[in-house]
Amino acid sequence: MSNVKNWQLKRDMQYAYDEARPKKQWAIVFDLNKCIACQTCTLACKTTWTSGKGQEYMFWNNVETKPFGSYPLGWDVNVLEKLGKQEWAKNGTYQGKTIFEAAPPEERAVHFAPTDDDWMYPNHGEDDCVGAQNTGGHVGSLPHDKWFFYLPRTCAHCTYPACLAACPRKAIYKREEDGIVLIDQSRCKGYGECVRACPYKKSMYNPYTRVSEKCVGCYPAVEQGIQPQCVVNCIGKIRVMGFINPPWKARKDNPVDYLVHTKQIALPYYPQLGLEPNIYYIPPIHADRAYLRQMFGPMVDQAVDRYRTLAKDPTTAGLLTLIGSTDRILHRFTVNNGVAAGFDERDAELVKVPVVEPVIERPAWDEKLETIRTNTP
Amino acid sequence: MSTDHRLKRRAVIKGLVGLGVATAGTTDAAPLRFLKPLAIDNPLAAYPNRSWERVYRNIFNADSSYVFLCAPNDTHNCLLRAYVKNGVVARIGPTYGYGKAEDLAGNRSSARWDPRICQKGLALVRRIYGDRRVKSPMVRTGFKQWADAGFPRDPKTGAVDQKYMQRGRDTWQRVGWDEAFALSAKAMDNIARTYSGKKGAEFLEAQGYDHSMVEACEGSGMQTLKLRGGMAFLGATRIFGLYRFANMMALADAAIRNVKPDDAIGARGWDSYSWHTDLPPGHPMVTGAQTNDFDLFSVEHSKLCLVWGMNWITTKMPDSHWLTEARLKGTKTVAITVEYSATASKCDEVIVIRPGTDPAFALGLAQVIISKKKYDEAWVSANTDLPFLVRMDTLQPLRPEEVVKGYTAPKLENLDLIAKGQKPPPVTQQKKQVAAEAMAADFKGQVVWNAAKKALTPITRDEMGKTFVKTGVKPDLRYRGSVTLVSGETVEVRTQFDLLAEYLDANLTPEQTEKVTGAPAAAVIALAEDIAKNPEKTIIPVGMGPNQFFNADLKDRAIFLVAALTRNLGFPGGNVGSYAGNYRTAIFGGMPSYVVEDPFNPTTDANAKPKVKKYLHYESLHYFNYGDRPLRQGNTLFTGKGHLPAPTKAMWLNNSNSVIGNVKWHYDVVNNTLPRIEFIAFSDWWWTGSCEYADVVFACDSWAEFKHPDMTASCTNPFVQMYPKGQIKRVFDTKSDMEIIAGVSKALGTLYKDERFAKMWKFVDDDNVEAYLQRIIDDTPGLKGYRVEVLLQKAMQGVPMLVNNRTYPRISSYEQAKGEQPWHTKTGRVEFYRPEQDFLDAGENLVVYREPVDSTVYEPNVIVARPHPAIRPRTPESYGLSRDDQSVEVRQVRNVLKSTDELLASKHPLTSKDYRYIYHTPKYRHGAHTTPVDTDFTGVLFGPFGDVYRRDKRLPSVTEAYVDINPLDAKELGLEDGDYVYIDADPSDRPYRNWKPGTEAYKVARLLLRVRYYPGTPRRITRTWHNMYGASFGSVKGAETRPDGLAKNPLTNYQAMYRSGSHQSATRAWLRPTLMTETLVHKDIFGQVLMKGFAPDIHCPVGAPREAFVKFTKAEEGGLSGRGLWRPAALGLRPTYEREGMKQYLVGGFTKIG
Repeated sequence: MSNVKNWQLKRDMQYAYDEARPKKQWAIVFDLNKCIACQTCTLACKTTWTSGKGQEYMFWNNVETKPFGSYPLGWDVNVLEKLGKQEWAKNGTYQGKTIFEAAPPEERAVHFAPTDDDWMYPNHGEDDCVGAQNTGGHVGSLPHDKWFFYLPRTCAHCTYPACLAACPRKAIYKREEDGIVLIDQSRCKGYGECVRACPYKKSMYNPYTRVSEKCVGCYPAVEQGIQPQCVVNCIGKIRVMGFINPPWKARKDNPVDYLVHTKQIALPYYPQLGLEPNIYYIPPIHADRAYLRQMFGPMVDQAVDRYRTLAKDPTTAGLLTLIGSTDRILHRFTVNNGVAAGFDERDAELVKVPVVEPVIERPAWDEKLETIRTNTP
Repeated sequence: MSTDHRLKRRAVIKGLVGLGVATAGTTDAAPLRFLKPLAIDNPLAAYPNRSWERVYRNIFNADSSYVFLCAPNDTHNCLLRAYVKNGVVARIGPTYGYGKAEDLAGNRSSARWDPRICQKGLALVRRIYGDRRVKSPMVRTGFKQWADAGFPRDPKTGAVDQKYMQRGRDTWQRVGWDEAFALSAKAMDNIARTYSGKKGAEFLEAQGYDHSMVEACEGSGMQTLKLRGGMAFLGATRIFGLYRFANMMALADAAIRNVKPDDAIGARGWDSYSWHTDLPPGHPMVTGAQTNDFDLFSVEHSKLCLVWGMNWITTKMPDSHWLTEARLKGTKTVAITVEYSATASKCDEVIVIRPGTDPAFALGLAQVIISKKKYDEAWVSANTDLPFLVRMDTLQPLRPEEVVKGYTAPKLENLDLIAKGQKPPPVTQQKKQVAAEAMAADFKGQVVWNAAKKALTPITRDEMGKTFVKTGVKPDLRYRGSVTLVSGETVEVRTQFDLLAEYLDANLTPEQTEKVTGAPAAAVIALAEDIAKNPEKTIIPVGMGPNQFFNADLKDRAIFLVAALTRNLGFPGGNVGSYAGNYRTAIFGGMPSYVVEDPFNPTTDANAKPKVKKYLHYESLHYFNYGDRPLRQGNTLFTGKGHLPAPTKAMWLNNSNSVIGNVKWHYDVVNNTLPRIEFIAFSDWWWTGSCEYADVVFACDSWAEFKHPDMTASCTNPFVQMYPKGQIKRVFDTKSDMEIIAGVSKALGTLYKDERFAKMWKFVDDDNVEAYLQRIIDDTPGLKGYRVEVLLQKAMQGVPMLVNNRTYPRISSYEQAKGEQPWHTKTGRVEFYRPEQDFLDAGENLVVYREPVDSTVYEPNVIVARPHPAIRPRTPESYGLSRDDQSVEVRQVRNVLKSTDELLASKHPLTSKDYRYIYHTPKYRHGAHTTPVDTDFTGVLFGPFGDVYRRDKRLPSVTEAYVDINPLDAKELGLEDGDYVYIDADPSDRPYRNWKPGTEAYKVARLLLRVRYYPGTPRRITRTWHNMYGASFGSVKGAETRPDGLAKNPLTNYQAMYRSGSHQSATRAWLRPTLMTETLVHKDIFGQVLMKGFAPDIHCPVGAPREAFVKFTKAEEGGLSGRGLWRPAALGLRPTYEREGMKQYLVGGFTKIG
């Protein structure tokens, strides 16, 4: 076991291998206030990658309703039960154990092993809220006293993946150039250790090919400067994929660095598990804080407060209306005078949008074309 | 591979790893010396074996791509990119072209529009190649036998022997295209012939059709042929093609009856928007226009957005980001809803009201605004009819000529009256509203009490908006007085405002509103004040929740009242909109040049303007749904003359599953109405529930395979969208809709030896459908100036163009709010008072609240009102009905007043221990209506019961229907989460009239589905989504006989998602008297022409399909094989079943901070 730095925990921790950060790290930020659970991301991934034999049950990207939904069944309550109640210091230092640190001696990580049946009902819990409703329900303010929210999940291409640590053949690796974690399909023997170890349950066994597979970060697209399928197809425009820096190298004009490190409104999920996951969520402002802190850590309240005052924060508001407007990877963004723009790695402008879409009025009579213009045709 | 096997392996591998061997071989005793071991030090840092990565690159790469248009009835119309490998569409994606769309002036929409797509569009790869594709023309065996036998009939009644009519229980035959066309032509001819003339009328009478309907045929059997292009706006040429066909059938009528063109009648066209119950029927009553709405991105400009009965984020998904982005930039979002819905989770405030009480809630807001004097008096005075005086003796508006001796009305500037026989100007030239001279009396002025001069003052139709302000007249909105008429009589008069205020104060104070709707009084007051504080900035998108109740028109009138009182009508950020399907054909003002081209003189020169002459008649589909009869109760025929349907003996539809498959009262239609219909044809590319009951099914190209272009636009976005041609070969033996219509037409032409039938479709043969499109474009205000080739070129690149409306976004009432144009009403203002006799009779001359007609625990359809001097409806007795008769049929015309307290003390007639649940069926994210809901990839995510491996063999498909019920209600009923339950609605007529237990038909029709504990719905309110494919005779047989147990018809592959029944087992058709008047003045479909009475999709019945009052009966347990609990409940993961860890998890109990 090696000592590695986990900035999400504000401390060092134990991991199976030495710390080795990639040159660039693939990351996605999700604004959960914009997610509508349309499942377009889910189908984009499925129709691209998992429509083959043995993959019928697989959703490398899934969207579940929280708190009652889960795919596979109970994945997060299961791993939290195994890990037990853990504590954060108020200053954001994690004082509890990670899944690696809490692992029994013969294991790499505390884990829950899903059975085949646990993959049934991928969208159970859809729109189920916490709390019963009486007639005359009135939710007058935030947070709501009965609530649910949507949680889209891809593989997090963690800095310290449990799957990678667990593979006895070292058939799982992290790409040096972009941090995408892959299961070598030629070397995997289908032991399923990764399936057991990953707390997020994003490694999946294919009973037809008899090897395991997982989200590939859409590297064939990313290599061409295009965002992953689940991002490109997101009509809620909640996602931005980019390359995140660790906080000591953060660039505030990089969209993902800005949201995660500068504004700190995008938070990793279940950071206490210790994997330093690289998908980050802007928490839903209407959900219960205690539940959100359990999922996103102690920075939740600050994140929610900052989101609720976006009307006075044109840069962040502008960025959150810019995301989703291009299928290409944004390396830099600007918001000036009501216009948000995104740029690629060579600083060429990829897209420019008005933060407020303008109203255009046309004349009631078009002289040239000799026709009326009407809003009630 | 089982878990056990993997565990054994695990032990072996561990052992090997323990020995320090880098395992590079199989677990068999493979010769390790032949394999070179890999040295991997730290897989976080580096990895030596990366050549395998080409696997995913190869999967991702496509050979080519092309663009097609996906356009079901969701209003979005998305250009999608198909990625092709080896000639097969392997996957689909967005085009990212919406940020490049331009208008004629070079204005551009921004990239904030992109991407446009959804999960259903992505799943098209499963449909284009799916096993439910209609693969070739299909003919039902019984129908073919009847045709081959020469269409034999009973000599006395003309009816067809039921042995030929076993729809749903019959076999199918593949036929060639020519045979399909010829069969259809012969059948149509035989039917039109049979029912023409005196003998035809006798047959229809003998068969029991209402006499008024037989008369409506006017001796032409062609009237019994009904055509419908489903939501025709979705396809300007191919879907509207069936209406063009209907018009063309005047040629056949002329041949059959041997009459001249002037006396010929075309076939009948059925409505779309109103048929779907999408039309908000009160909109024409208030604004005169079909629907008041706005492109949804208008929400950008609002400060307060009331998402009212509209599950925006599940039904308008590509436009949801506009809502969430407006919210993050500072717009306050409020959901007015009947449960904690998906959209509620995106709102700052959520107000839950009892389903169907929307008019009461809106009137309650109005009461606060009026009583606290928060209304914009100047705006109300200038733009509404509220200041006008009403005579309390006649309840008619006081008229200038009644109080000013020798009054002559000035000529109106804002309206052109045209003489009989004179045609209005072309739509592109209609700078002003137009009406027939014969309607002059409808536009007479009204009278106000001018407080500035203390005198009665006439106000003309011209005097609205800024023109009115210029007059300096200051109406006293609360005036009451005695007036001496020119005739010498003295009458009491009061303002409409004052009459309304009296009604509101007596019946819908905040406390009363709380009792009726369930919303807390404090919330009503706070919201009313919020709206009043945000004039021009309160935007109110209203959805189909409240529209699918019997009182829908009252809901519209009431919501407009709130908007008008607070100056929130016609502004970019302040307006009322109603959202459902894609109806706004009016955007294509040039449609008549295509639809009603004169078939007797078709123009085959692509550059020449076609002659137009309208031969087809339209009617509302609701009479068919209602049992093919009008509304006749007691001694009265409530269906106005212009509305009367003809008997349905033949029907042909395309792009539609709502008329049989997902029709409300489906099993009544199947068992009681279809047997009387002699020819049923559908054109479709997917085998739907409608195809299950057809006689002929024409196999269509899917959107990805189009061989002819087409065009559509939208009521929710500003784009004109072309359908580019597909770039793959046809997968099956299919034809384009246009070729199919042309084919039947040509077969008819052969029958009648008339080449005009073929000429009507010449451009199809020439592969020049563009010519029809250009004709439409040239006559359309928003498109004139575009070339169809350019539009298609752009579409092929994935880029749409903008419609050149008055504004971007398109905003209804914009010109009216600016005072440039009047509203399309009698007074030119928004109207809240309806003086017409039908409304007086119904007690709805004022905007009042009526209880729902079935979905209520109280007495249905009562008018909630204390006695009021202006509410004087016709009583049940006056119609020859008993006052106590609350049966389903009589309920529709029952006018009984009850005060708020009396209402709350009353009960639904079915109330008993068992019947006490409201059951409603709105729409959801996993389907667009029923398109494409049975697809496996989307279906498995539709709700909680999806299992792609169907471990529970009872599952009808990979997913199944369910009812959402409050957990406490379920527990009371002894129902566990996941159990199967029967739902039964009013047994007098549901699931269908004259149902008998123990029959096959009843077994197929009785609603059976899963229970899902849904905490978000209030007690007694239960819900199933509207979208799923219901059970058919074949699907039930499939479940019984197939080895896999799928509810899939072994003969047709029809895939049901219910084991039996459907959500439509609980619904029925309802006909509302105020929607069948001859007297309502409103804008016609196209252009600025004002008309009166029936108009399809504007003024006709809408059906109320959400209403049902039901009981639940447990059927089976939810666990696998019918024993025990459904697994998620058994695992302790479900509401009320939570295990200890789950309880801790729900409150965030696994984390402690500090």
